[in-house]
Amino acid sequence: MAVQIDTIVALSTPPGRSGIGVIRMSGFDSLKILRTLISVESYNPTPNQLSLKSLIDPYTAETLDEALVCFFKAPRSFTGEDVVEFHCHGSPVLLRTIIDLILKLGARLADPGEFSLRAVTNGRLKLTEAEAIRDVIDAQTDTALRQATRQLKGDISNRLRPAKEDLLETIVRLESSLEFVEEDLPAIQYQKIVDSLRSLERDLSRLRSTFGFGKLLRDGIRVAFVGRPNVGKSSLFNSLLGHGRAIVTRIPGTTRDTLAESIVVNGVPVLLIDTAGLRSSNDEIESIGVERARRAAADADLLIVVVDGSEYQPDEDQLVLAEVSDVRHIVALNKSDLPNFSAATFDRKLGAHQNCSAVVSVSAKSDAGLESLRAAILEPFANGNARTEGLLITNARHHDLLVRSIEAIASSAQLLEDHASEEIVLIGLHNALRYLGEITGETTTEEILGQIFSTFCIGK
Amino acid sequence: MIFDEFFDVIVIGGGHAGCEAASAAARLGANTALLTLNLDLIGQMSCNPAIGGIGKGHLVREIDALGGIMGRVIDRTGIQFRLLNRSRGPAVRAPRAQADRALYRVEMRRTLEGTPNLCLRQGLVTSLLIEDGRVLGVELQDARRMGAKAVVVATGTFLNGRIHTGRQTYEGGRAGEPASIEFAEALKRLGLRIGRLKTGTPPRLDGRTIDWEAFEPQRPDERAVPFSFSTDQIRQQQLNCHLAYTNESVHEAIRANLHESPLYSGKITSIGPRYCPSIEDKVVKFPEKTRHQLFIEPEGYATNEVYLNGFSTSLPAQLQQELVSLIPGFERTQIIRPGYAIEYDFVDPKELSPFLETARLKGLFLAGQINGTTGYEEAACQGLLAGINAALGSLGRPLFRLNRRESYIGVLVDDLITHGVDEPYRMFTSRSEYRLALRHDNADERLEPYGRELGLVGDLEWERFNQRRVRLAKARALLKECKLQRSDERYSICRELTGQELGESLTLAELALRPRMDAEMLMSLMPSRARSEFSIGDLETALADHVCAGYLHSQAAGLRRLNQHDTLNIPHGFSFRTVGSLSHEIVERLERARPESFGQARRIPGMTPAALSNLLVHLTGSQRFSSASQD
Repeated sequence: MAVQIDTIVALSTPPGRSGIGVIRMSGFDSLKILRTLISVESYNPTPNQLSLKSLIDPYTAETLDEALVCFFKAPRSFTGEDVVEFHCHGSPVLLRTIIDLILKLGARLADPGEFSLRAVTNGRLKLTEAEAIRDVIDAQTDTALRQATRQLKGDISNRLRPAKEDLLETIVRLESSLEFVEEDLPAIQYQKIVDSLRSLERDLSRLRSTFGFGKLLRDGIRVAFVGRPNVGKSSLFNSLLGHGRAIVTRIPGTTRDTLAESIVVNGVPVLLIDTAGLRSSNDEIESIGVERARRAAADADLLIVVVDGSEYQPDEDQLVLAEVSDVRHIVALNKSDLPNFSAATFDRKLGAHQNCSAVVSVSAKSDAGLESLRAAILEPFANGNARTEGLLITNARHHDLLVRSIEAIASSAQLLEDHASEEIVLIGLHNALRYLGEITGETTTEEILGQIFSTFCIGK
Repeated sequence: MIFDEFFDVIVIGGGHAGCEAASAAARLGANTALLTLNLDLIGQMSCNPAIGGIGKGHLVREIDALGGIMGRVIDRTGIQFRLLNRSRGPAVRAPRAQADRALYRVEMRRTLEGTPNLCLRQGLVTSLLIEDGRVLGVELQDARRMGAKAVVVATGTFLNGRIHTGRQTYEGGRAGEPASIEFAEALKRLGLRIGRLKTGTPPRLDGRTIDWEAFEPQRPDERAVPFSFSTDQIRQQQLNCHLAYTNESVHEAIRANLHESPLYSGKITSIGPRYCPSIEDKVVKFPEKTRHQLFIEPEGYATNEVYLNGFSTSLPAQLQQELVSLIPGFERTQIIRPGYAIEYDFVDPKELSPFLETARLKGLFLAGQINGTTGYEEAACQGLLAGINAALGSLGRPLFRLNRRESYIGVLVDDLITHGVDEPYRMFTSRSEYRLALRHDNADERLEPYGRELGLVGDLEWERFNQRRVRLAKARALLKECKLQRSDERYSICRELTGQELGESLTLAELALRPRMDAEMLMSLMPSRARSEFSIGDLETALADHVCAGYLHSQAAGLRRLNQHDTLNIPHGFSFRTVGSLSHEIVERLERARPESFGQARRIPGMTPAALSNLLVHLTGSQRFSSASQD
């Protein structure tokens, strides 16, 4: 690499306390900085081998940490440049100190994704692979990881290939009727082409619709518990979590602040948020909690409205249900272990709103109905397509290109139905082919012409 | 060096490229010579006697707008004019005309002889005279030396031409004419990459021996649309063509005799145009077709010879006669000239600049079939461009180029110099990503100002062009002004025709966007003074501009994404090997194509998105870093 590029550094492991923390540095000065940090100016590391070194602050001569150090020589490194990795002890303060020192020695903090960008720039990584790698790194669960790996292997191109071939066939058909008007070609069956475009549109839409679920797979679903005080929100929160995170008492309004914890439901990351009970309160702290609860509820993908199924308070319950009526939610009728619990009473007295996707009877105490509750959480997101489609769209760029293709194909089909001339119809189809081409590879005019000549006997 | 004669520009070849090149160079003020093997065959149509068609007709209109001559010559000698794709949108309509082959030659020669600064010379060029990487002139077979500041080579199929009929093979540039062997070797010695292509031509028949009743006539248009913007009306008599079909017995006979065809016996290995296959190819590659369409085209007013379009063949002459006789109506028909296949040398057009000058030799321009194209129109537009630039170069003026956005000529040149050719290159409208904008009827609007600026468009044509602009403006204004009201007597007709509700009133411009509204109908809705202010043709153009405008937008939207990085320069001498992670194949393609911009690289066949992403990141990366280091 002829261009001399500045050296970047970043913490490669997640922030926070951990067993070890890995600091990665890439660029022209990496080796020089490493030598300064270990105080051995003549140090010539064997590439790709870990060795134990003392990291020393050259300004104070103080030993900071005993770290495993690994040097990757350009171009045989992730970025294609000289790379050094420091495997340090995982104290956030220590890691911060070491990074500050490296910055002082001439490196700069890496921008998000800059290591991958350099890898792409130096030809170590393809763009689509880089996108997939980002997804692998960000994968929160096994299912998401499987998806990202599938894209790495080019599954999305394979999935789109038949659609692209269909589209190309239609283009070839219309192009040849335009270009070879004097030839003895079979007459165009417009309705057949419209049908084929419509079916293409449906097919791509099916794939596109997996994006919502695909994205949730990657980013997780935010689920907030709401309800009037003391219906057992925090108990249910703890039950789903499998351990007691929230403090549970008999005193209404115990939960003052919102709590958040991650769980995995059928491979999907779910962020559970416990909130303060919704009621007007004179207690200032509780009021702030209620306000926070409302905000958390507003940010959530799904609300679980907890109702005490053993002791209905129609007015207050109604108030809570009214508040969530235009948000996607499920109703958990808690305390099904109690003798005076009645699910039928809920139906009769309160009923479910339109945005309510399920009413589930549970018991935070006995864990009865928890499975149903878990299933009900995923239900609104896991549409049928996501289950039948082997491949999910998780990448926003792919999603955007699919949406554009679908729109272009739909408008072309409409134009064809309105008897527009072929060259007008073809604009959208060529655009769609270009958009799909950005995912799978461009189709050149030569290939289109080649297809025409192998399909039809042209030759005046 | 001592020369017998000295010129600014020498054009080698008197075909369609050579004629345009010589005419343009001379009219730009360069002292020009056209050198040809046979002065009687200037403007000869070697193959079918027709000009235009979809894509090709667009090219002729562009040639005319720039100030070329092909459009005028065919307008005076065409014997059957038809506007193709009349039922489709304005962008894909294009004129086509059958020519009187002999009259076309005469008219072309007359046009050239009437051109000041242009000398016609007969002779066979054997080599180029060169000094210090510059062309100095040419040497002829008879030892004459002619000096020139620039040379345009437009030798068609003559370079190392080899003709095949059945098992017979002989040297020739065209039936009955010698090939150019020594000159082909001279070009090879320059180090130009030479390839070999093939094309073919069908037999010509004696019209007196055809049972004309057996064939369906194909009539000319009632209102002939001329090629040249300077032609008001086609006045000469118009003739019919006829349609014919092959049949299974013809196909069987061909299959039984394939071993006689040099295409299938392995004698011919070079590639021919797929869109103009021989009848042997049609029968072999499309066995499910029980008949193939043929056109019986008259060769002219004063001859009985007819051209059997669609029956191109290199089978033995005697067999051709037998095959033709198997078609009902041709039982007694005699072949006057047998068809044949011809193989010839071409120069890899990737050797050329956008000005059609070779990179290796300053002052050497190549145009026409030598660059791997096929077709008179494709040849002519290259001739025009090469002639313009040879003259501009010799006069010390900056050279002239056209881009893909504004013309099919720009598309053709860009395709040639970036992709090269694998088979003879023919124009199709689908080759342009700007198809809707490149209409045959707005070629003047797109290109005539260039022609004027160059000096090829005379005062008279320029005046005509400006008058048309004024008329178009009037038509546009009337479309916006005039309204159709519910109370108008034609309101209900329009509503019925469009099949849509039209409201209380709407402008004609709005009405024009509704289905089935054509120029005739809209003209009838305008006040009577409209007819005296502009013609139906003018109104059609104004309407086309108006109707296409919306679609141009969606065409642009798709392209903008695609083209957003197209202007990114690839530095001269850029090493694609440094990009890394590009496969050897991709690197080779890039090195062969030598793209100057990301846009050119993108259009190279076989480029994968991954390769392009890598190239893009590398280019933006290195340009970012280099600009950063300059700060």
